[in-house]
Parts: sequence; C-alpha cells; structure tokens
Amino acid sequence: MSEDREPTVIVKTVTRTVVPLIALTAIALLIKGHNLPGGGFIAGVLTTTAFALLYVIYGLDTVRRDLVTNAGGVGLLSGPTQSYTRAFAGGLALAFGSGVAAMLFDVPFLTQAVVFVDGIPLYGELEFASALAFDLGVYFVVVGSLLTIIAVVGKE
Amino acid sequence: MASEPAFLEPVLLGALVLSAVITLVAGYRTIVGPTTPDRVVALDVIATNVVAIAALYAMFTARGLYADVALVLAIIGFISTITVARYVTEGDVIE
Repeated sequence: MSEDREPTVIVKTVTRTVVPLIALTAIALLIKGHNLPGGGFIAGVLTTTAFALLYVIYGLDTVRRDLVTNAGGVGLLSGPTQSYTRAFAGGLALAFGSGVAAMLFDVPFLTQAVVFVDGIPLYGELEFASALAFDLGVYFVVVGSLLTIIAVVGKE
Repeated sequence: MASEPAFLEPVLLGALVLSAVITLVAGYRTIVGPTTPDRVVALDVIATNVVAIAALYAMFTARGLYADVALVLAIIGFISTITVARYVTEGDVIE
C-alpha cells in the first residue's frame, strides 16, 4: 500500500473498535439462533462483513501477515484463501455429519434433539440443542465461501 | 405497558411516516443525482432511514426482534458506505 492511499487515522481507529463489536453480535446471533431470529447464516454474513472491513481498510497484506498467517497452498488458493476453503469444507462436513448422526439413533436424517441441564453455577438452566452443530456447519460454510470470494477477487 | 403515555402511538406513527417520506425523497436523489457522491450519500440516507424504520417498528409493536434487524442493517450499511467511499476516492476497494 503506497503512502498516499493510506486510510485516515479516524477510519483505522473506528475499524479497530467496530470489528470486535461485529464479531460479538455475530456470536450472539449464532447462539440464540435456535429459539429466536438469528442462526448460522446471518452470523456468518456478519463475520464476513467484519473481515471485509479489515480487508478494505487494512489491505490484503496486513490480513495475511497478522490475522490469517497461513503460508501453504499454491496459486490462486494460496495463503489465507486456503484457510477459507478449509473452513468451507469443514463446515460442510460438520453440517452433513450432524444430519447423519441422527440416523445412527434410528431417526430420520437431520432430526434434532435438545437436552436441558439444571444447576449450573451462575447460569441456572442451560439448553444444549443439537441444532447448534448444524448451525455451526452453516456458519463455517458461509464464512469460508464468502471470504474465498473476497480474497480471490481482491487479489486480482 | 401500563405506564405508556397516550401520545406515544401517534408520535411513533408520525415518525414512521416521516422516515418513509425521507426515504422516498432520497430515492429520487439516488436516481437523478448528477454525480456518484450524490448517489452514495442518498443511499446512505436510505440505509439509515430503514434502520430508523426498523427501530421505530420495534417500539411500535413492542417486539425485540426488530431491534436485531436494525442492528444488523446498521452494521451492513456502515460497511457498505465505507466501501463505496473507498471505491469513489481510490478507484480500488481492496488492495
């Protein structure tokens, strides 16, 4: 990045403040998604917007050097892009596996279960829903695919 | 909501109508606007007004889920404005 194209101090500081807030909002939407509006897709989109903000303000090189320090891979899919494609593949495997896992219990594909655990200190009742595994898979698929597009298009 | 004042509902309705009218006027500027920065600012006004409409509707219906809609729309509008501003000034979004 040449000197005259450097973003202003204001936008850099705002980015440093806003990106953790966006990540927090995304995680909140992901966790409450089973019972309330939200879920894996919108959480993934919000996480991608946080990364897109970093890419726009700080540039490809800073993200490669400080955030996603993956040096492997060849050609178009080298560096951080390889991490994104792996997140895509892992998320797809997780979503598919959470569907197949239901079939091991002799119930139809993608059947979900929920477990309520009582007496947890400071929190009271905690709800473990198996839909969270599927939502996590969707989350990683969305993050991986959108960030692959952003990184590949941004490189050109 | 027993403590809700009587003028709350007409005020919220008036604010909703006002935001909708401003959005329409900004839409006119988006279509006509002679230069690209005009259109960018008009689109930013539209995004902000949609956020305002979502927040007002959350208060009008007393349902919290529209507050989430407003939050996510505000984040995406902020990022799109920054990205378009960078495109207009630099001609290149990601470098």
